[in-house]
Amino acid sequence: MGELAADKHVKYILAVEKRKDNFESAVLEHLRMNGAYWGLTTLDLLGKLDAVDSNEIIEWILKCQHESGGFAGNVGHDPHILYTLSAIQVLALFDKLNVLDVDKVSTCILDESDIAGLQNEDGSFSGDIWGEVDTRFSYIAICGLSILKCLDKINVERAVNYIISCRNVDGGFGCTPGGESHAGQIFCCVAALAITGALHYVDKDLLGWWLCERQVKSGGLNGRPEKLPDVCYSWWVLSSLTMIDRVHWISKEKLIKFILNCQDTENGGISDRPDDAVDIFHTYFGVAGLSLLEYPGVKAVDPAYALPVDVVDRIFFGK
Amino acid sequence: MKPEGTIQNEAMSELLNQFEYILDSDPLINEVGFIHPSQFATLEKDPEAGSSRSEASDALDGGDGSFWIRDHKLGISSEVVLRLYKAAREQFMNAIAEYKKLGDLSLPSAEALGIVVMKCSKALVLLSPDFGTAWNSRKLIVSKKTQASMFTDELRLSALVLSYSPKSEQAWSHRRWVIKNMAKNRTTLQEILREESDLVEKIAERSKMNYRAWNHRCWLVSYMDREQVIQELKQSKTWAGLHVADHSCFHYRMRLIIRILEDCCRKQEEGSCDSCVEVYLIWQEELDWNEELIKRYLGREALWLYRRFLSLLWIRHFTSDVNDVSSPQKSQCSIQVNVSVFLDKELLLVNSCSEGSDDEFEDFEEQTICSASYMLWLTKQIPETQKLELREKIENERLDAMLKLVSLRGPPFGAI
Repeated sequence: MGELAADKHVKYILAVEKRKDNFESAVLEHLRMNGAYWGLTTLDLLGKLDAVDSNEIIEWILKCQHESGGFAGNVGHDPHILYTLSAIQVLALFDKLNVLDVDKVSTCILDESDIAGLQNEDGSFSGDIWGEVDTRFSYIAICGLSILKCLDKINVERAVNYIISCRNVDGGFGCTPGGESHAGQIFCCVAALAITGALHYVDKDLLGWWLCERQVKSGGLNGRPEKLPDVCYSWWVLSSLTMIDRVHWISKEKLIKFILNCQDTENGGISDRPDDAVDIFHTYFGVAGLSLLEYPGVKAVDPAYALPVDVVDRIFFGK
Repeated sequence: MKPEGTIQNEAMSELLNQFEYILDSDPLINEVGFIHPSQFATLEKDPEAGSSRSEASDALDGGDGSFWIRDHKLGISSEVVLRLYKAAREQFMNAIAEYKKLGDLSLPSAEALGIVVMKCSKALVLLSPDFGTAWNSRKLIVSKKTQASMFTDELRLSALVLSYSPKSEQAWSHRRWVIKNMAKNRTTLQEILREESDLVEKIAERSKMNYRAWNHRCWLVSYMDREQVIQELKQSKTWAGLHVADHSCFHYRMRLIIRILEDCCRKQEEGSCDSCVEVYLIWQEELDWNEELIKRYLGREALWLYRRFLSLLWIRHFTSDVNDVSSPQKSQCSIQVNVSVFLDKELLLVNSCSEGSDDEFEDFEEQTICSASYMLWLTKQIPETQKLELREKIENERLDAMLKLVSLRGPPFGAI
């Protein structure tokens, strides 16, 4: 078994921004803010955040902010809650949350009869003014507001009730009530419940059973029954198992081996499965998964906030 | 002489004009593909590719071979796609910025600008299906119109994008926005719901285990009436039987059955439980059918997980337990099945699934693990008294073997 090629991954992440001018990269411009979060959090977990110019990045992030307070995935695009959380998280990494007008950002998420408010009557959250509802947006709203320390401003009880209404007979959670369980949605729901102190609503043995059945023979995890394993579930499944205290229900050794086998040891980066093409998304989830598995040389990550533990401590305890 | 940059810009906007013209002149395009220009020649010669000429194909005469169109199938040369994207993006960003600056949208100039935004956002989402801002601009403009045909046009564009980008979250979300708006304006959505269901099935055929597609179909259920729910259950059965590894389809059936059950429970509360027998029969049929599939297709996780759901809800709703007096919901149901008899039958199934032949070693092993997991999972979920009874039914030796099997993939020995 190889080791984590940390230096190569750092080089890969730094190079991604300078990649070739091709169609495949061009059509991803709308989610550059997510890309920034994945890349920069990976750098921080590997102890190399100082390799980038934070001022330049912060300046760009602020250019993506709209009048409503929400952030877009890139300059000139429409705001969406998906990118708003990434923007908050990146600012948290750089300890620069103070550049934000907290009232403005939180108001765009809250339901203070503001037209841009995203919480709905039933406690669910919309992603933007066009009204698509998803438990991912519940997580984002709760996580973002918690980082900004204004969680007390929303109707937490209703938000929690909505998440519970998306729980299935198998113990997992879907996008909306009656939606199929999916490891990514489960992470969102469990993390939102963890942040709001409502984990007692989760049947840990039942959910743990579904989650640990995601480990396949190769040691990797899939996100749903009968699917192929994928490195990104090393984060979604593993963080959920961590939050409900059932990580010992899977084989950590086999999972570590699977993630390490997905590295491009020559040029850096991690892919979804061994021998596939690498990307920044899977590089982050691979490294974050290794962090939860306490792999040496990787900083500890918080399973609910998806930020390095020292960053979370700094936010809440001023350490 | 013109500077090089200007010539390039002119060429780019010429390319975009050609693309937009094709899209305009053939509103019925139902497939798009990015292909290498060398493939165009092959397509020209292919007699199977059809031969009907259209206004759109006439537009290509004298063109530089960047596009190919026939029988409403559009091919875009992979060599121009980046330039085309850049041109569409620039035109779109300028148009939408200008549109948003307008104060009075009733002016003719606003109307004209709206048409430009619709035209270039269409080109853009076809090239970059998850470009949310372009989809949003269409919502903005459509929401200011009253013609119902605009909604249908939006559904068609989204279906076109999904035909080659079946996981595009934006395209699926756009459909839901359209349907929500149609629901506000219309009394019945029945036909639309049927068409949406068909679309999901068509896409699921080519894009296996597509979460977004099936999630969309699950979302539709809340708009269906009881009759349509039962119809859907019948309709999706064949597909499910042919795709036994697609858990999403079984989840969809689960959603439909739960909806039927909810309706039944509501009626019970209102004091009229005439549909109880019907639900019971649907459930029985589903359990029998699932058993058939389990025996035909060995070691299919999706089938066994579906059985977990069917059995657990069956026990919760239809079985009587002499030791359990706490469940008021059951007492209202006119049908009561003895839980002991039910569990005996399930044990029989599990036992029969542990006796396979050596030829199919891997499938057989999977089948044994799945069946043991199923049984033990069930023992964890049922009330304590039933759990003890079931464990007594499984002999000690056999229970140990099952626990060992389950711990290979499920929770460890001590946790069950």
